Amino acid sequence: MKTVFRTLALGLAASTVLGTAVMAQEYPTQPVTIVVPFAAGGPTDTVTRLVAAAMSEDLGQQVVVQNVGGAGGTLGAGQVAAAPNDGYTLLLHHIGMSTAPSLYASLPFDPLTDFATIGLVTEVPMTVVARKDFEPATLEDLVAYIKENGENITYANAGIGAASQLCGLLIMDALETKMTEVPYQGTGPAMTDLLGGQIDMMCDQTTNTTNQIQAGEIKAYAVTTPERIAVLPDLPTLSEGGLENFNLAIWHGLYAPAGTDPAIIERLTASLQKALADENVGNSFAELGTYPVAADQATPTALTEKLEGQIALWSEVIAAAGVAAQ
Amino acid sequence: MALNVSKNDLASGAMFIAFGAYFVLESTRYEFGTPFRMGPGFMPVVLGAVLVALGLAVAAKGFGKPDDEAPAPWPWRGIALVLGTIVFFAATIRGLGFIPVVLISGFATAMSSTRNSILQALVIAVGLCVLCYAIFVFGLGMLVPMFGPWLNFAGA
Amino acid sequence: MDLLSSLSLGFSVALDPSNILYCFLGVLLGTLVGVLPGIGPTATIAMLLPITFSLNAETALIMLAGIYYGAQYGGSTTAILINLPGESSAAVTAIDGYQMARKGRAGPALAAAALGSFFAGTVATFLLAAFAPPLARAALNFGAPEYFSLIVLGLLVSIALAHGSILKALAMIVLGLLLGMVGQDIYTGTPRFTFGLRELFGGLNFVAVAVGIFGIAEILRNLENEREREVGVKEVKNLWLTREDFRRIIAPVLRGTGIGSILGVLPGGGHILSSFASYSAEKRLSKHPEEFGKGAIEGVAGPESANNAAAQTSFIPLMTLGIPAHPVMALMIGAFILQGITPGPNVINEQPALFWGIIASMWIGNLLLVILNLPLVGLWVKMLSIPYRMLFPAIVLFACIGTFSINQNIYDIYAIAFFGIMGYLLIRFGCEPAPLLLGFVLGPLLEEHLRRAMIISRGDPMIFIERPISATLLALALAAVILAVLPSIRKKRDEVFVEED
Repeated sequence: MKTVFRTLALGLAASTVLGTAVMAQEYPTQPVTIVVPFAAGGPTDTVTRLVAAAMSEDLGQQVVVQNVGGAGGTLGAGQVAAAPNDGYTLLLHHIGMSTAPSLYASLPFDPLTDFATIGLVTEVPMTVVARKDFEPATLEDLVAYIKENGENITYANAGIGAASQLCGLLIMDALETKMTEVPYQGTGPAMTDLLGGQIDMMCDQTTNTTNQIQAGEIKAYAVTTPERIAVLPDLPTLSEGGLENFNLAIWHGLYAPAGTDPAIIERLTASLQKALADENVGNSFAELGTYPVAADQATPTALTEKLEGQIALWSEVIAAAGVAAQ
Repeated sequence: MALNVSKNDLASGAMFIAFGAYFVLESTRYEFGTPFRMGPGFMPVVLGAVLVALGLAVAAKGFGKPDDEAPAPWPWRGIALVLGTIVFFAATIRGLGFIPVVLISGFATAMSSTRNSILQALVIAVGLCVLCYAIFVFGLGMLVPMFGPWLNFAGA
Repeated sequence: MDLLSSLSLGFSVALDPSNILYCFLGVLLGTLVGVLPGIGPTATIAMLLPITFSLNAETALIMLAGIYYGAQYGGSTTAILINLPGESSAAVTAIDGYQMARKGRAGPALAAAALGSFFAGTVATFLLAAFAPPLARAALNFGAPEYFSLIVLGLLVSIALAHGSILKALAMIVLGLLLGMVGQDIYTGTPRFTFGLRELFGGLNFVAVAVGIFGIAEILRNLENEREREVGVKEVKNLWLTREDFRRIIAPVLRGTGIGSILGVLPGGGHILSSFASYSAEKRLSKHPEEFGKGAIEGVAGPESANNAAAQTSFIPLMTLGIPAHPVMALMIGAFILQGITPGPNVINEQPALFWGIIASMWIGNLLLVILNLPLVGLWVKMLSIPYRMLFPAIVLFACIGTFSINQNIYDIYAIAFFGIMGYLLIRFGCEPAPLLLGFVLGPLLEEHLRRAMIISRGDPMIFIERPISATLLALALAAVILAVLPSIRKKRDEVFVEED
C-alpha cells in the first residue's frame, strides 16, 4: 500500500516538473486571466479590456478579464499575489498599487516582493478643474486664490487614496496651505456636485473631464503632467504655474505573481508591447485622453522603477498629510 | 403561558437591543468627530442608541399582550442543514471545486426537508449539479475550477 | 417639430433590423440571467457587458439597454415567484407579489408588473426625449443637504411598508441603516464593523443581505410546518388580469409613473426611493390598506411602474451630463467609453443619431419586453408547480452560486447564512424584512449626505432649513409623521372612549 502510494506520488511529482518545463515552451496553452481590482466599466477596466483583446490576438489564447473589486483595489491584488505563478493569472492595477502600502497597515501582500512586473501600460493625465463660476480666471489667479482662501475652498475627491485626493494633497503641499476636503464615492458624484456648483474644485483624469471642459460646463486651470497634453493644448501645466516639478498621472501596470517563469514574463512583455503598438488600442486610448506608453516603458525594469519611486514618494506625501485607512 | 407577555415582542426587542448595543460599543472605538467634521463613529453611535431605545419600546409594548398564536415548531433540521450547507459552500468552493461542492450541497439541502428520501435527495443533487453547470459554467462562463486544488491529484 | 424630427432620427436607427435583433437578444438574455436568484440587474449587466464589446457603438448600447430592462423584469419575476429580490426595488415587489403568488395569483402579478413597466417606460421615454436637458439642470440644484432631507422623507414615509407594528418597522429601518454602515468609511477610510476582514471593507453585499433575509428566511419558515402542510402553490387561479384587476391597477400605475419619473432624474439616490415611495403612496391612498402585505395587486403595479420610470429617467443625468446615477449607469459609462464615446453634455449634439437611437430603442426594448414576457408568464408560473421540496434546494444553491459569481467573495456567502438566520428570527418574532432592506440601501447615502452637508456648511445645521428645497422636503417629512401618527392617536382615543362607554 505504502509503496504504491509512493510510486504514485513520485510519478505525480515527475509529471509536475515535466509539466512546468513543457508549459514554459508552449505558453500559453489555456486562457489567461487578467484580474482588474475594480468594478467592470471603470477606467481601469476599460484600459484592461482594450489591452486584453489585443494581447489575446498575439498570444493565440483568450485573455479573460475578471473584476475583483473592493477595498481600494487591495482585494484583487491580494488574490493575484496568492494565485499560482504559472502565468495564467495576471493583475492590471493602477497607481493604487504604490499608495496601498502607505494607506493600509495590514496589507496582505507586498507590491515589491509578491509580484513580478511585466510592464507599464499607460499614463492618464489629470486636470485641475473648478465650478464654472469659480472666481479665479487663470492658473496664476488660482494659485493666489488658494493661498489666500485656504480652508474656505471646498475640494472634492473620490475618497481616501484616490488619485483625485493625492492630487489635492500634492497641490496643498506645494502651496503650503489646506483646503476643506469633501470626499465622494468616486469622481462621478463629485463631478455632479461640481457641475451643480455645490463645491469649488477638484482634480480628475482627462477621461472624465475633457468633454465637460470643452462644453464649458466646468472651468479648467491646468494639467498635472510635466508637459501639456494634445487634447487640451491651451491648458498650462502646474509646473508652469509655479508648482515646480509637479508630476502626477494615473499610471497602469501589468503584473504576474512573484516567481513566475522569466520565459513567460518575457513572452507577456513582448505581447504587451505588441498590444500597445496596435493601432486600435492607440486610437481607443486617444479617445480616453491618454496614450500607450512607449515600448521601452512597457518593460519589467521600467515598471519596477516606477513602482519603487512611487511607493517612496507617496509614503512621504501620505505620512505628511496624516492620512491612513488603517 | 403563565406570563402575560408577548414572547415575540420580548425576543425581537431583545434582538434590537443587542444589535444596537453592539453597534454603539463598537463605534466608541471610532472617532466621534465634531458637527463640522463628523467622524466615522458619529452616525453609528447615534443610530445604535436609537435602536436600543426602539428595542426597549418594542419589548415594553409586549407586556400585557400575549401572542395570539402558539409559536410554530422550530425547524431545527432545516436550520442546521440549510445554513450548514451555505457555510460549507463558502468554505469549500475554492478548495474542492464546483462539482463536488454543488453535489454535496444539493444533497444536504434536499435532506433538510423531511419529505425527501435519501434517494430523492441524491437525484435532486445530481440534477442540480447538471443544471448549475449548464447555467453558470457553460452559459455564463463562470470562472471556477470544476475540481479544486484540494482534489488535484492527477492534474498539476 | 424639432422633437419629432429627432425622434424619427432615433427610430430610424433603432428600427434597423439588426439593432432590433440585438435589442431582442439583450432583453431575452437579460430576462434569463436576471431571473436567476441572487443575480440582480447590476450583476447581470456586468456579466453580459463583454458580449457587447464586439458590436458597433449604437448596436452595443441598444443591446445593453435591452439587457437592462430584461434584467429588471427578470429580477421582479424572481421576487414574485420565490421571494428573492435581486435589488432594492424588487424587494418592494416581493412584499405583495410573493403573497399573490402564494395565493395562486402569480400570473396576474407578473402581468401587472409587465404592463405597468411598459406604460411607465413609454411615458418616461417621452419625458426623456422632450425634457432631458432642462430636467438634468434642475436636478443639479440638489446638493448634499437636499439629498439628506429627501432620504429622511423617504425613510419616514416608508414606515408604511410594514403592515404590522410601526415600532418594529422603525426598529428594522434603523437596524438596516446600521448594517449599511459596515465597511470602510469613505470620509476617513476607517474600516467599521468589519471584524478585521478586508473582504468587508466594501460593505455588506446587498444581494447577500436580500437573499438571506428574504429568500433563506422564507425557506426556513416553510420548513417549520412541513409535516402538516404542503408548502407552495396549490392551484393557479388565472394567468391574466381580471377586469377587476385592470380597474385596480390603473391609478397606481399612473401615480407610480409620476413618482418614478421625478425621482429617477435625481442622480444622488432618487431611483432607490422610487418603488418604496410608490408603495407607501398606494397604501396610504388605498381604500383597503389592510390588503397590503397580503397580496394587493396595487402593491405590485405601482412600485414596478415607479421603478421602471425611474430606471428610464435615470438615463437623463447620464446622457445629458455624463453623470452615472447608480452602478448600472456606471457600467453604461464604461460601455460608452469602450465604444469611443465620452459621455457628457456634448453627446446630444455630436452624436445625435446615437443619442436619439438609444432613446428610441429604450421604448422598443420595453415593447419587446412585454411581447417576450407575457407569453413567458405561463412558463414562470408553471415553475411554481415544481414540488417545494425540490425547488428550495435549487433556490439555495442558485443563490450561493449566483452571489459567489458576482465578486468571487466567499464572505458574501457567509453573509447569506448570517442574514438567513437573523431574518428568520426577526420574521418569526413579527418583524418584516422590507424596511430593513430600505434602511440598508439608504444608510450609507444618509450618512454620506449628512456629513457632506455639514462639511459644506462648516458645521452649521441651519443649512437644512435655509435651503428652500431641503426645507420643503423636511416639512413634508414632518407632515408625513403627523399623518402616520394621527390615525393611531385617533384610534387610541376611540378605544379609550369605547372603554369608557
